[in-house]
Amino acid sequence: MARALTERRIDWTGIFFAVALTLVIVFPLLVVGTWAFTNVWRYPSVIPQEFGLKFWYQTLARADVWSAITMSLSLATMVTLLSAIICLPAAYAFARMDFPGRNILFFSFLAGHAFPKFGLLVAIAGIFLSLNLIGTFWGVVLIQLVGTLLFMIWIPVAAFQSVDRRMEEAARDVGAGPFRVFWSITLPQAGPTIAAAVLLSFVGTFYETEGAWLIGAPQIRTLPVLMISFINNQPVIQYGAVLSVLLWIPSFIALLFARRVISSGSFARGFGA
Amino acid sequence: MSVLDIKNVTKSFSTTKAVDDFTLTVGDGELVCLLGPSGSGKSTLLRMIGGFETPTSGVITIDGEDVTRVPPEKRPTGMVFQSHALWTHMNVFKNLAFGLKLRGLPADEIKRRVEAVLELVGLGGYGHRQTTQLSGGQQQRVALARSLVLEPKILLLDEPFASLDQHLRERLREEVRDIQQRLKITTLFVTHGQDEALALADRIVVMRDGRTEQAARPDVVYREPATPFVAGFIGTMNLVDGTVANGRFAHSGFTVPLPVGDGAATLAVRPEALEIVPASGAGMAKIHRVTDYGTHAIVDIELPGGVRLKSMTREARDWSAGQSIDLKPRAFAAYRDNAAIHRSN
Amino acid sequence: MTTTPAIDIVGTKKSGRPIGLLLVAAPVLLVCWMVIWPIISAIARTVWLPNEGSGRSFSLETYAFFFSDQYSINNLTVTLWTTGVTALLLLLICLPIALYLRFAKGRLAAYVQGLAIFPMFVPSIILSYAVIRVLGPNGTVDLLLNSVGLPHIRSPYLTPWGPVIGLVWDNIPLTVLILLSGLGNVSNQSIEAARDVGAGRFALLWHIILPRISNSILVAVSFTVLGIFSAFTLPYVLGPAAPEMMGPFMQRTFRDLNDPTNAITQAVIAFAFCIVFGLFYVRSVAKNRAP
Repeated sequence: MARALTERRIDWTGIFFAVALTLVIVFPLLVVGTWAFTNVWRYPSVIPQEFGLKFWYQTLARADVWSAITMSLSLATMVTLLSAIICLPAAYAFARMDFPGRNILFFSFLAGHAFPKFGLLVAIAGIFLSLNLIGTFWGVVLIQLVGTLLFMIWIPVAAFQSVDRRMEEAARDVGAGPFRVFWSITLPQAGPTIAAAVLLSFVGTFYETEGAWLIGAPQIRTLPVLMISFINNQPVIQYGAVLSVLLWIPSFIALLFARRVISSGSFARGFGA
Repeated sequence: MSVLDIKNVTKSFSTTKAVDDFTLTVGDGELVCLLGPSGSGKSTLLRMIGGFETPTSGVITIDGEDVTRVPPEKRPTGMVFQSHALWTHMNVFKNLAFGLKLRGLPADEIKRRVEAVLELVGLGGYGHRQTTQLSGGQQQRVALARSLVLEPKILLLDEPFASLDQHLRERLREEVRDIQQRLKITTLFVTHGQDEALALADRIVVMRDGRTEQAARPDVVYREPATPFVAGFIGTMNLVDGTVANGRFAHSGFTVPLPVGDGAATLAVRPEALEIVPASGAGMAKIHRVTDYGTHAIVDIELPGGVRLKSMTREARDWSAGQSIDLKPRAFAAYRDNAAIHRSN
Repeated sequence: MTTTPAIDIVGTKKSGRPIGLLLVAAPVLLVCWMVIWPIISAIARTVWLPNEGSGRSFSLETYAFFFSDQYSINNLTVTLWTTGVTALLLLLICLPIALYLRFAKGRLAAYVQGLAIFPMFVPSIILSYAVIRVLGPNGTVDLLLNSVGLPHIRSPYLTPWGPVIGLVWDNIPLTVLILLSGLGNVSNQSIEAARDVGAGRFALLWHIILPRISNSILVAVSFTVLGIFSAFTLPYVLGPAAPEMMGPFMQRTFRDLNDPTNAITQAVIAFAFCIVFGLFYVRSVAKNRAP
């Protein structure tokens, strides 16, 4: 009886938060989404006068948009690939091997997070200046690569550590060599979490704005960098809206696949919670 | 004919010796139980036979071939782990087929052998199941099948049923014994449960601190424990420390004739061999509690020095707490310096 | 039955040491070259300046300039103001949300949690654009106010409040996650026990819950300070041209004024203001995560 009563009680706090957050979080994004599919929306009409895809055609016809998309995709792919190549073996070593300085090296990846990020970027840019890496593709790759290290090592380390050692031993027992064990047992077991880390690092790199702007611009123009110049200089509102919707696609994919990793406690713990 | 020879094997972890100068020979088709408390080195020994750890010194040979430093994948041993260690990303069939595939067997041969072994462990038709959908007992059967399907020369079981409940453990124990006898496969079974060892083994090796305390047939280990440790570890045993003088063992009022030389001694009496009678005089001891189990009763006895003993009797009604009694051991053993010096039967 | 150390499988024991170091070498060297070296070099080149002659000599000239230049001081002040206001607003907004999520169950709570975490999936550049469209001049809020006959709002766009709104929005998810994780350490029993002895809602919050999550609050504040002090995109797009926050200020000094030495001086000053938070943050993370 008491249970039924508490269940029927209305959760006013919850309703308040739900309404407030919907207004603050969802509503602005809906406005942007509406702008993207609007042909005419003149002040002071509350709803657009004419919906349509006119500005999609116009935006996608622009050469700078296409070159920015290509640049962003190739940067994100290159950074993620390099990051996976150098970080996954390191993560395996941290999880499964013993070597001198293991702990201090493991925590060295936190170093970048003890400083305000943009200040660090400026300090790096000071060094890149003398190496002639400013305004080059590889300069941006390097700076974005550093940003992925912590994630790409800490999450896979946790993934490798959670693989039951007896499973690997059982595979050795039935005749698999060390590499076969890694390939057939360890990797498939740790796979989903590692895939989520790779996906997060791809998406994070895709949206990385500050390093690309400081090191790359104006020669290296990624989608977020193009978006800044649209906001600052472009009188046609819809271009920015269409670009926002395009830009958000990788996030949407990440949202679908990485939810499990993010809702698990290990993700927040990675931030020191 | 010996299949497995372990000679003077020692395994040290930094400062401690997990296994200390251990020697054992196991014959073809024999089922040997390694029995001991936690930390007695039995699991480490098993893992060295399986190749998961390398002895610090000593030699292990299988069928006359030195395998001391051979990695696990090249040994003719099959291990069943306590945590079953099934590969959760593969179904039951793939778990069993993995080792056969590595050996390059044709697909139809793999299928035939996997199905035969699944039938053997009572899981015929379970091949397509995911391992996570199985019950604990079924998972452990799959783990057993995964080892058996490769027809190993030696089957190693590392406390395989420890995580299962009592009832299931007893059933699986019998199944393992049946399968082992049918296949005549040499088996080493690690356990810390003495009832498991007594029920399964052709031979029990009782281990303590990395050494053998006794290696013998189960009935011998039970009836004639070689040391007080074995006596206390197998079954319930009353152990009383006392002194022998003039052919009589004494511990604060409790005396028994013991025809050995003078000195310290430990008396070991099973509860079923410790007869109690109402005190004729002051009494050797007092009854502390009487517990009725229906088929029998256990009488807890307190000696004047505070030492507690147990006696098994038929009738609970004959006895009551606080009663003064005399003790009459029907059969007992005596130990001095960790060795038996007398047995009366 | 005993857990076995990682080195026990045959083969890895002897070769483990060099191979392990070799496998972690690439990312570790990258951290040394791209994090540790730039910081050392930044400090070195701002106190060891080129002198009249051909060499370099010790000088605090660039720092003296920063702290004597009114424009630089204004920028620093607005940065400190933004950081303080944002951190305070974040706590005021996120603590109630986290408290609600800790004790509520059901579909409504799941919806609130989903919304609170959602901004993590919205890049700050899209957020900037959305803020302009909603709160900017003739934005959606103006449209709605106008349609019911009310006057326009004073738009926060291009004022110091613009970055504050954007930064609060952007930092809600991680603040909620960190606080929620801290609240996970407050057991239901300890709360029930406190209620049992007669603690009301506020006594409960003040005496039982807050002391237990004070560390999480500090972590959340540290994380926010580190993120906001040198934020770039949101202040650059949403903030005023002058005074500007440290992020855009450094960027402009470096790229537009082509003056790396002063830009790096500003970066080192930013490091100095955040060092306590940075060290505390790193210490808390390290404490929670043994390899």
